[in-house]
Amino acid sequence: MNWAELVPLAISRLAAARLRALLTMLGVIIGVASIVALVSVAQGATSGITNLIEGLGTNLLNISPGASTSGFVRGAGGSADTLTIDDAEAIAQVEGVAQVAPQVSTMAVVVAGSANTTTTVSGITPAFMPVRAYEVWRGSFISEAEYAAGLRVAVLGSTTADDLHLGASAVGSDINVGGVPFRVVGILQPKGILDDQVYIPLPAMRDHFVAGHSLQSLSVSTAHADQIPLTKFRITELLRRRHGIAQGDAADFTIIDQAQLLSAFGTITGLLSLLLAGIASISLLVGGIGIMNIMLVSVRERTREIGIRKAVGARGRDIMAQFLVEALVLSLAGGILGIVFGVAASALIGTLAGWGLSISLTTVVLAVGFSLVVGVIFGVWPARQAARLDPITALRYE
Amino acid sequence: MTVPDALPDAPTGTGVIEMRGIGKTYRSGRLEVEALREVDLDVATGDFLAIVGPSGSGKSTLMNLLGCLDRPTTGTYRLAGADVSGLSDDGLARVRNRTIGFVFQSFNLLSRTTALENVAVPLLYAGVGRAERLERAREALTRLGLEDRLTHEPSELSGGQQQRVAIARALVTRPAIILADEPTGNLDSASGADVLELLHELNGAGTTIILITHDSDVAVAAKRSVRVRDGRLAA
Repeated sequence: MNWAELVPLAISRLAAARLRALLTMLGVIIGVASIVALVSVAQGATSGITNLIEGLGTNLLNISPGASTSGFVRGAGGSADTLTIDDAEAIAQVEGVAQVAPQVSTMAVVVAGSANTTTTVSGITPAFMPVRAYEVWRGSFISEAEYAAGLRVAVLGSTTADDLHLGASAVGSDINVGGVPFRVVGILQPKGILDDQVYIPLPAMRDHFVAGHSLQSLSVSTAHADQIPLTKFRITELLRRRHGIAQGDAADFTIIDQAQLLSAFGTITGLLSLLLAGIASISLLVGGIGIMNIMLVSVRERTREIGIRKAVGARGRDIMAQFLVEALVLSLAGGILGIVFGVAASALIGTLAGWGLSISLTTVVLAVGFSLVVGVIFGVWPARQAARLDPITALRYE
Repeated sequence: MTVPDALPDAPTGTGVIEMRGIGKTYRSGRLEVEALREVDLDVATGDFLAIVGPSGSGKSTLMNLLGCLDRPTTGTYRLAGADVSGLSDDGLARVRNRTIGFVFQSFNLLSRTTALENVAVPLLYAGVGRAERLERAREALTRLGLEDRLTHEPSELSGGQQQRVAIARALVTRPAIILADEPTGNLDSASGADVLELLHELNGAGTTIILITHDSDVAVAAKRSVRVRDGRLAA
């Protein structure tokens, strides 16, 4: 007999008990919907994080000094003072380097009128803004002229400006940073991260907060993205030579590029997706057991029908096919409904979180495929039970 | 009313059923029950045979063996010229589908399924396409006077009508024999008489019929009868 004949038969049998069919499918519906929704949320979050990282500036290398060691105690990475302003000037001469933005940071209390906040204050050069891809919302960034004149000017991150209740009109007003007066010349556009910052000229930083020549970080931009690996290599060689590090010894600095950062995040979010899909798969498994349960009950209830069909010539495999197709129709219908609900949930979450709807075809195909596999796995046993019934016993069954 | 012919290629004049030394032993644990022993039975094409016996006589066992629902422990059974005593489950299903039409005491129609679909079920397993299935089912029901009951489900039909649907289902594959197991057992006497009359007409048109009953009043409808007692046949 023809498999195509069994599908309408299965649908009419399931339609005869709609509520039961729906309740049976519920497990698969929830399982598939949660796989689709959770994977889509993970993908949305991934693209959100990727955008944030790319917003930090492209073609970017970040150089930080290594850890300081005091006796046997190793300090945090970046705590050593091996990276200096002279290194920055030497790196600026390296082939492929477009701009160099050294940075020295500290924590300080910032006061504006009656409002105050404790935040990161960074001493930087005018090259900082283009290298790190910042955009100004109001006013301007620290100019070469202001920098050269050694003025005490400050640019605020958007979060810091909010914390200090400073709006557009605050440009030109005075604030107090760690006890030193500064004039606000600009407020930055929000980026999503690193918005809680106050930027001041590096010389002012040296004069009032952190003395010496060492740097906490050095951002280097290259003219083109494909120059990053070579430039990174050249800077590494230069710094090893300048710091007198012998061949084979560990370097006292670290260079991180955006690609490394992105791939690190990619690994984390990939694991996250896998974990979420794994958890959702468990509910699909539970849904499959629900189908098996109902199919076993159904075989028991329809023993007489099976007996009649066998008496008039159905072979074991015909009966098996009939019940297997019913299980498959149940799980496939559940899978399709699950996708509908999953996509709806993803659209809702995506809208609320602001990363839009990201459903990949792969997820949908996998979810449907998985629900069919569940249908086969959990449908085979009840179908075998039905196929093996003895016709005489089955006909006598009440 | 026209009645379909018997299977056209069934050998005429020779026995459609030939049982030789048939025995059936049921084993449950260490207990063995010999339900049938040394049964020889010949049924000619076009015959109308009643098998009569009280319950527990081995009558049901004989009916199951004749209907290829079960295999004999000993002996050989030739049905429509082929030895069916050693067939596999699938082989027996094929014989039931092509060669035998069943009529049961309790009708055994599929519930929530129309008369038309019920009659078409054997053709599904014979590999007949849907359109032809329904056409042949319609023909069979029309022959039995049920042309205005095609879309009725069993619960909407009287007992007599349900048994007519069951007979239509038995006929639709044009089998070599019809096995009727207490076909009047669940019917009032008027409907029962109708069904027996119908079987008589079918036999008149050439269909081989075997009627299994405990009631000798029913058995008189047949051309001849054999008795089963204690697992043996008596004339």
